[in-house]
Amino acid sequence: MKNVVALLIAAPGSLRRTEAEVLSAARRLADGLGGRVTAVILGAADESWTADAAAYGAERVARVEHAALGSYQAELAVEAARQACLALQAEVCFVPSSTYGLELAPVLAQKLGAAVVADVTAAAGDAATGAVKITKPVYGGKANSELIARQAPLVLAMRSRAVAPVEKKAGAAAEVMKLDVQLDAALAKSTIVERKTEAAGGARLEDARIIVSGGRGLGGREGFALLEELAGLLGGSVGASRAACDQGWVPASWQIGQTGKKVAPELYLAVGISGASQHLVGIGGAKHIVAVNKDEKAPIFQAAEAGVVEDFKTFIPALIQAVKKHKAAEGK
Amino acid sequence: MHLVVCLKQILDPELPPGEFRVDAQKKEAVRGSASLVISVFDENALETALQLRDAAGQGKITALCVGPESAVDALRRALSLRVDEAIRIREEEFPALDGFGTARLLAAAVRKLEPADLVFCGREAGDWHGAMVGGLLAGELQRPFVSLVAGAQRAGEKYALRRQTDEGWETVECAAPAVVSVTNDDANQPRIPKVKDNMMAFRRQIPAWGAAELGVAAASLAGPNAALEFASLYVPKSERQCQVLGGENAEEKAAQMAKKLAEIQVL
Ligand SMILES: Cc1cc2nc3c(=O)[nH]c(=O)nc-3n(C[C@H](O)[C@H](O)[C@H](O)COP(=O)(O)OP(=O)(O)OC[C@H]3O[C@@H](n4cnc5c(N)ncnc54)[C@H](O)[C@@H]3O)c2cc1C
Repeated sequence: MKNVVALLIAAPGSLRRTEAEVLSAARRLADGLGGRVTAVILGAADESWTADAAAYGAERVARVEHAALGSYQAELAVEAARQACLALQAEVCFVPSSTYGLELAPVLAQKLGAAVVADVTAAAGDAATGAVKITKPVYGGKANSELIARQAPLVLAMRSRAVAPVEKKAGAAAEVMKLDVQLDAALAKSTIVERKTEAAGGARLEDARIIVSGGRGLGGREGFALLEELAGLLGGSVGASRAACDQGWVPASWQIGQTGKKVAPELYLAVGISGASQHLVGIGGAKHIVAVNKDEKAPIFQAAEAGVVEDFKTFIPALIQAVKKHKAAEGK
Repeated sequence: MHLVVCLKQILDPELPPGEFRVDAQKKEAVRGSASLVISVFDENALETALQLRDAAGQGKITALCVGPESAVDALRRALSLRVDEAIRIREEEFPALDGFGTARLLAAAVRKLEPADLVFCGREAGDWHGAMVGGLLAGELQRPFVSLVAGAQRAGEKYALRRQTDEGWETVECAAPAVVSVTNDDANQPRIPKVKDNMMAFRRQIPAWGAAELGVAAASLAGPNAALEFASLYVPKSERQCQVLGGENAEEKAAQMAKKLAEIQVL
């Protein structure tokens, strides 16, 4: 396998980390295989995406700008991706681990007759055999599985944050082409009639340098108000476990973990979170994990480098005071 | 309105890592004394379907489970939550099933159950996290696929599907027939069965469909993923030492924590 495609789905503004990760995964695999990367940009993305795709190592950038691809529509996006993969003879196609990328992956694979693996943490190529070794955590991160793909085509979705972006080479040259696809508007079977962006508890969790995160142990919204105060002081964002989101204490988009956001802050402060493996999966990229839990046996302490055994109701107000005191002493 | 909900029975995903083992030869988890449960997102899917039926004031729900004999427990649970029919697909007749095979079996069952307006699946199974059956099933049935749905309502001739996105929410309108995958939300937390419904479910016969009933040969189920070699399954090592920040009271511990935060340069 040598022909690697990085499929990018247009979004407003400049190319984001999500796309950088797709391009980087493709670049690394192509390097291992001795192959080449074609970035396929579906829809009318900003012009700058072309140069950015090249900077992340794509040898070729194919822009698919059909009028019907104005904003994401599932069937049209899949059909455009299918035609692009066929035209480019894609052997491996990386899709983004975004809402739309993950929706498209199995449907595209089914149409291409491709094997498909999502939530992949490593994809390594072997130039001698042309095989791809895929690592995919299973059982909520309690085990890893390794799969070897020897046949094309293959559709892969890398887990967010599993791929460190390759070094960006500004000004790198790539062959740029327009790729025509035939799309019939009647293919579209669904319409997005309303879009709503939910308020975040600070900077976007994916980009946050500091995250204060709460779980079921917080017992309600009031607990989260305390965390928001602390996060505000630290200049951080607030995240949550699935249990806290399921209770409706905070929006679903704050969820961190296997099926939530994957985050990589300098500090992840987990409060009232037990540390289930499915939660830990989301914080593998955190540099420092610190935990507050009233149960000294909570598994979160096995993942944390430091921890306090205490009820958050007494501890967090005390920590807020201690942080204020520290800041005052530093003159900040 | 006929809704079909696909359920998978899995090893309790809340099993703590300390008790979790794999059989490296068989390449599967060792069950031990862990219980078997309905995969969490499938419970959310079932709840979403029940709410849609409640709101519509009519409609039929069929639960489908590809699984071994033990899977009747998952289907009983669904019956106790008042689905109308529950059918097991005899996994034992179809060895080495992967996502493609499961999708083909479910598609064959849905075709037998037509008309089926919406077919619900969980966004991913809580054991293998394949996240592909919903999309593959839609492909098999040549129906549209809408992912990460947390609520469904009738909207005239169509359905309004509230779906999670990376930044928030969107509403997708889609005509039946369609396949949706469901994610967790505070709005679709599984309800608790009533005692009398538990008793009713216990008395129900649960049909089991195999190759003969579905008209599907085991050999025809291999899809592209069958070409992947499953090389290994292992438990990754993790060794971390946690420094316990002690103190007589919360204030002392908080001072320790502030010191730690300054040390790692976030304060
Ligand atoms: C397929 C699948 C995907 C999943 N995806 C995710 C995911 O993306 N993210 C996620 O988070 N989970 C996920 N889960 C769920 C996960 O398994 C756990 O159920 C969940 O993380 C538990 O949340 P929690 O730690 O907040 O709650 P609990 O496990 O109930 O823990 C609460 C903790 O709070 C502590 N506590 C209680 N009171 C106090 C107090 N007053 N002060 C201090 N501490 C206190 C308790 O000691 C306990 O440790 C997933 C599960 C499955 C099966």
